[in-house]
Amino acid sequence: MVSLLICIFAADTVTNFEIAFAVFYIAVILIAVGFLSARGVAVLASICIGLTVFSLFLTQRGSFEAGLLNCGISTCAIGITTYLALKIVAAQAAVFDAQEQFARMARLTRLGELTASIAHEVNQPLAAVATSADACRRWLDHSPPNLERARQAAERIAVDARRASDVIVRVRRLAKNEAPHRERVDLNEAAVEAIGMAEHEIERNSISLQMNLADDLPSVMADKIQIQQVISNLLINAIEAMTGVPSFKRELTISSSRDEGGSVVFAVADSGSGMKQSTLDHLFEAFWTTKESGMGIGLTISRSIIEAHGGIISVTSAPRMGAVVQFSLPAAEEKQA
Amino acid sequence: MTTAGQAIDANEPIVYVIDDDRSVRVALEDLLASVGLTARSYGSVKEFLSTPVANAPGCLVLDVRMPGQSGLEFQQQMTTLGIRLPVIFITGHGDIAMSVKAMKNGAIEFLTKPFRDQDLLDAIQQGIERDRLQRKEDSLSSNLRELWQALSPGERVVMELVVQGRLNKQIAGELGVSEITVKVRRSQVMRKMNAKSVTDLVRMWDRLK
Repeated sequence: MVSLLICIFAADTVTNFEIAFAVFYIAVILIAVGFLSARGVAVLASICIGLTVFSLFLTQRGSFEAGLLNCGISTCAIGITTYLALKIVAAQAAVFDAQEQFARMARLTRLGELTASIAHEVNQPLAAVATSADACRRWLDHSPPNLERARQAAERIAVDARRASDVIVRVRRLAKNEAPHRERVDLNEAAVEAIGMAEHEIERNSISLQMNLADDLPSVMADKIQIQQVISNLLINAIEAMTGVPSFKRELTISSSRDEGGSVVFAVADSGSGMKQSTLDHLFEAFWTTKESGMGIGLTISRSIIEAHGGIISVTSAPRMGAVVQFSLPAAEEKQA
Repeated sequence: MTTAGQAIDANEPIVYVIDDDRSVRVALEDLLASVGLTARSYGSVKEFLSTPVANAPGCLVLDVRMPGQSGLEFQQQMTTLGIRLPVIFITGHGDIAMSVKAMKNGAIEFLTKPFRDQDLLDAIQQGIERDRLQRKEDSLSSNLRELWQALSPGERVVMELVVQGRLNKQIAGELGVSEITVKVRRSQVMRKMNAKSVTDLVRMWDRLK
């Protein structure tokens, strides 16, 4: 690319003023867009303009006025090309981001469906086992006991128990493929990204969003995607909790802080209708939900993720007082300076 | 009613089980057999609908989550299909919304798998009892209807006015006939309807409506 730059410069300098060879610098910029950063491309564009002007003074032959004009045209062409090329690149990046976000959402949904289907697969044989055991007992209670029917029931129990354990074996094999992934995560940054994903929903429901994020937060060792999944879950719950209150009362407060123990605390507070103690008691149970269309696994998954990270998740709420869901994660050790 | 129909109706109740899981079906059938109940099980709603329902008291044990049509959907359709079996739901993961919906639509019970056998058996007993009563009620009303249809149009009008508490004189005036005629029709009504008193007649009228 550098040789191309030199060739153009040489040709521009050797030829007459009337020949606007400098427009070929455009080619250099278009090539560079493919592998240089936006800033790099901008710097290259200014170099090209500089060379154009420089060769104006080096060129010996032809009318200087024509040269000046051509120099202006070339400079404009380089500027416009650079601007348009960078815009296209930015648009492509946005598309890529959106795709990635979509893929992430799809993965979260799949995880939910997977958990639900595993639970169903295990529960069916367990239900059969329990029922067969009841039947077996009742056959034995007959007088005289019906041993043949009791034996058949016992055999069914063995078969169904094995079926349930097969499901568990399959799940375990599946889980083995996914090694836990830990990296240094800035919780504020992760939260802002997760909030960005929910922004549309927040606006659509005319919710006013308040963010109180602490500046000097230590980072945590975590799987960023999983933590974002938890935050998304909490946001979705909070948004849905507020559908029942008038829109001027819908307030979502997101805060992060450090507690006395040095852990990082993240909280999502809504101004929804709140929950009774009896509801709070069941909140983290799998497949327990107050929503019409919910599976009841959002908070269950969130808790298992937070606990796998050595953290704690808790909910406080009272009827008509909204709800606060918060989790804390241990801070990562300070980086060696 | 035919004698064959009566033979089946001779009170041998039948429990219909719809669950997509074969193990659950077999276990349930066996549990019911151990307490002397006859069960017929089906893998799907479609399978259930393709076999005729016996003319016997019974109830339906229905799984909520099934491929094809869900139990809750089917419950709502049952009335339009003319199936009046009492329903007991069993489900792997029931939420409140689901159970409220089921109970509102008249389910006897909503049990979460795995359930206590006694809970299920109690619900089934209750369901069969409800169906038995319903059937008795139905046959009683159909008998009454037959009796009522045997009345002459004149007698029907008199019956209607009598149960409204009118005196013979008032009825005569209203219909423009003699009081004697009213008295005759009135005694015919009492005789044909097998009513011992006017109170009896009023009760029958309520049931006919």
